[in-house]
Amino acid sequence: MNDLLRYVPVFAEGLWGTVRIAVVCLCASLPLGLIIGMGRYSRSWYWAIPTRVYVEVFRNTPVLVLIMWFFFAFPTIAPFDVDAYTAATLALTLNSSAFFAEVFRAGIQSIGRGQWDAARALGMSYRWQMQRVILPQAIKRMIPAITNRWIELFKLTSLASVIAYQDLIHTAKLISSAYFNPVQTFTIAALIYFAMIYPMVRMLYFIEAKLKRGD
Amino acid sequence: MNYVWEFSAIERYQHLLVEGLANTLQLTVLAYMLGLPIGIALALGRLSRHRIVSVVVGFVIDFFRCTPSLVQLFWFFFALPRIIGVRLSPFEASLICLTILSSAFVAEIFRGGIASIERGQWEGARALGMGYRQMMIRIILPQAVKRMIPVFLERAIELLKTSTIAAAISYPDLLFQANEISHRTYRPLEVFTTVALIFLLVVTIGSQLTRMLERRLARSGESTAH
Repeated sequence: MNDLLRYVPVFAEGLWGTVRIAVVCLCASLPLGLIIGMGRYSRSWYWAIPTRVYVEVFRNTPVLVLIMWFFFAFPTIAPFDVDAYTAATLALTLNSSAFFAEVFRAGIQSIGRGQWDAARALGMSYRWQMQRVILPQAIKRMIPAITNRWIELFKLTSLASVIAYQDLIHTAKLISSAYFNPVQTFTIAALIYFAMIYPMVRMLYFIEAKLKRGD
Repeated sequence: MNYVWEFSAIERYQHLLVEGLANTLQLTVLAYMLGLPIGIALALGRLSRHRIVSVVVGFVIDFFRCTPSLVQLFWFFFALPRIIGVRLSPFEASLICLTILSSAFVAEIFRGGIASIERGQWEGARALGMGYRQMMIRIILPQAVKRMIPVFLERAIELLKTSTIAAAISYPDLLFQANEISHRTYRPLEVFTTVALIFLLVVTIGSQLTRMLERRLARSGESTAH
């Protein structure tokens, strides 16, 4: 157990890699998902159809396939350098933005027609109706689904290790192949993930229970 | 951007793609079938009236839910053999990992399905003098299972998508074969695009089927147990 203390800085670096990519992908995919989700809700076909295709394609393709595509296939046509971090970020962002889009669409749809009618009766434009009346109510209902997707995204970042992105799992793999101690390193990696994710899941239960009481 | 697409290179390796897809489906179907009885046992354990049983089962499910499948896979492939002294093949390790995942799915579906049956059904069954077992088998499950069918399919698709992680420990699934072919042909763009489209096609067919089932159930006045 004592020599494991030596690995603390290495594990910390791996954890930072995991947290960094998860946060970056969340920050990129939330606004992207909102735009796509509102497009899905749009009545004009040149918004509705491309956004629908976007959602279907990136939700239905396995994330690891997307990651491998961006890492191995994309560089042949990309006008810029694609490293593991870029490839994984692109793949994870596209995938989770497609899921967020569905969350936003369902949230907006859950707001009754009366709210739209009332907002229109007050002379608000579509943008204002959305910003002032619909979204503030919808977002509250979406919080559990968004939290759930965030947890899912956090777990999915582990797939970036397959293309040698320096995250927690990749770190564990490096240490275990250098020192032949897979039992300790992979157990520790699993425990670190659990310690990160379990509080998020508890928080999700808490939010769900609280919203249920409030609504 | 004057890339010339060249798919003919892949045609020679078609058999590898077919084999890969077969391996992917085999792993997914087997893991789901194994996960079914385990998942039902977990669901019953969680609903158990013995508090210790339900808390322990709940914690086990939570633990596996709160760690990425890939770290579990690596643990089973690299760490478990050291503990039990038996080497696991990539197939065996992937099967264990995906069976755990699918049993967690099944447990959740059963819990949701059973919870979706109205209180009145329980009370009615009890009023007829049925025991817990009889109520479950005769009244609750037959209704609940019907509502669960679309969710079962949805989860099978989810499992299929997750099964791609097996490629990370060299199980020759569709994704792994893609990597092989791309090494041999130096045509990563065509190979990975083809494989991505195959996955997309399979998953899209599956999810359209789910939606059809949901609509059918809705027509017969049933909700879906989510």
